[in-house]
Amino acid sequence: MSGSAVRDEESVPAPGRDTQWPRYEVFQRSREGGPVHNIGTVHAPDAEVALQNARDVFVRRPQTHTLWVAPARSILTRTREQLEEEPDWRQKMVTEEVPVKAYFVFHKNSQRRSMHYVTLCGEVEATTPVEALGKALDRYDEGESFVWWIVPADALARSEDEEIESMFAPAEDKEFRLPNQYRTRTLMREAIREAGEDKGQS
Amino acid sequence: MSPDLEQALAARLLALADDELILAHRNSEWTGHAPILEEDIAFTNIALDEMGHARIWYEQLEALQGADPDSLIFFRPAAEFSNVRMVELPPGDWAFSMLRQYLFDSYELVRATQTLESRYRPMAEAAAKIRPEELYHHRHTALWVRRLGLGTEESNGRMQQALDSLWPAVFQLFAPLPGEEQLVAAGYVPAPAQLQAAWEREARPFLEDAGLRLPPDPQAPATVAPRSEHTEHLEPLVADLQEVARLEREAEW
Repeated sequence: MSGSAVRDEESVPAPGRDTQWPRYEVFQRSREGGPVHNIGTVHAPDAEVALQNARDVFVRRPQTHTLWVAPARSILTRTREQLEEEPDWRQKMVTEEVPVKAYFVFHKNSQRRSMHYVTLCGEVEATTPVEALGKALDRYDEGESFVWWIVPADALARSEDEEIESMFAPAEDKEFRLPNQYRTRTLMREAIREAGEDKGQS
Repeated sequence: MSPDLEQALAARLLALADDELILAHRNSEWTGHAPILEEDIAFTNIALDEMGHARIWYEQLEALQGADPDSLIFFRPAAEFSNVRMVELPPGDWAFSMLRQYLFDSYELVRATQTLESRYRPMAEAAAKIRPEELYHHRHTALWVRRLGLGTEESNGRMQQALDSLWPAVFQLFAPLPGEEQLVAAGYVPAPAQLQAAWEREARPFLEDAGLRLPPDPQAPATVAPRSEHTEHLEPLVADLQEVARLEREAEW
């Protein structure tokens, strides 16, 4: 991962190995004003399909207010260990310089939550993702964070408020049942029980 | 409600239910076979939604006339199903299934919208529940039709082929049922012509913008096949749908 500041897995051609579409990271806000968590990834040819796929894969049941998606390759990610191995990363990491823009900062500072990965902790303005990472550490690191994601605001596609009714609301009154919640009394089960009784009697 | 009106309403409810059930079953045949995992989940979810809509209409029929939904679904002969032909056709390729679902979703969305004000209250309530789901289905299938239609030569060719075969069949959705004019007069259901006009206003330009050529318009509505006549594809589908239930009629679930 050293050298390039951006995840470059998609730019490495793997002919005959990976026929998948690019990966998008999916972020979810369950209720208005609530925290934004990364909840997983989907494959999609573009952002619109990514949002749609994110809805289908992740929010058919739980409550959702907003979904965001961003191409994985647009995200700069670093762990604490990676940064410690590269003490002069602020000088060494080279990224293309662009006009000042906004970056969303996500971090992970707890192992307790298993259903999501990083969580939105703030926003910085910078001319490169590396500069944004530097600002994020200066501003938001309270010593506990061990993963950082820098997501350019303009790489995010978001669901609109008007879409809540059709995208997320119908899922709320759909019952989720585990297979063992179906009261099936099958012939097979009866047969097993009867066979057991026969055995007991003999 | 007069017996004639009730009979017409029962026929409409059964037609609505059967369309949804048969399409849901066809779509479920993609489960485990869709082009990508995400789409496998999505299309299975859409199939489940349509199954849920079928259930709504069967239950309304039960409330009206006491017909047991399970008997109608699992023990009715194929010849007595009243679905339109387009939903019973085999899944074909992905373009065919996506286009069929788009055509049906856009129809169902228009019908739900025009049924929100139905004077038969259960129908209006059902429409309010179905409509948001159809907005989402429609968005999903429209997204695929556009991408395949405007994609490569091959994807456009397959989509065009699907449209050529489905276009004449789609108009059966708008054909009035016997006695339907009474339902319209009572304010229970939208007038078929009004439904069709609203659907065409949306579907025709959408399909053309997706790089597809609309086939010549089909025969006059009067010559559209009645819902009692099916293709050879319905019988094996119903046999498949009913296979497990028929193994042991008395089984409790």
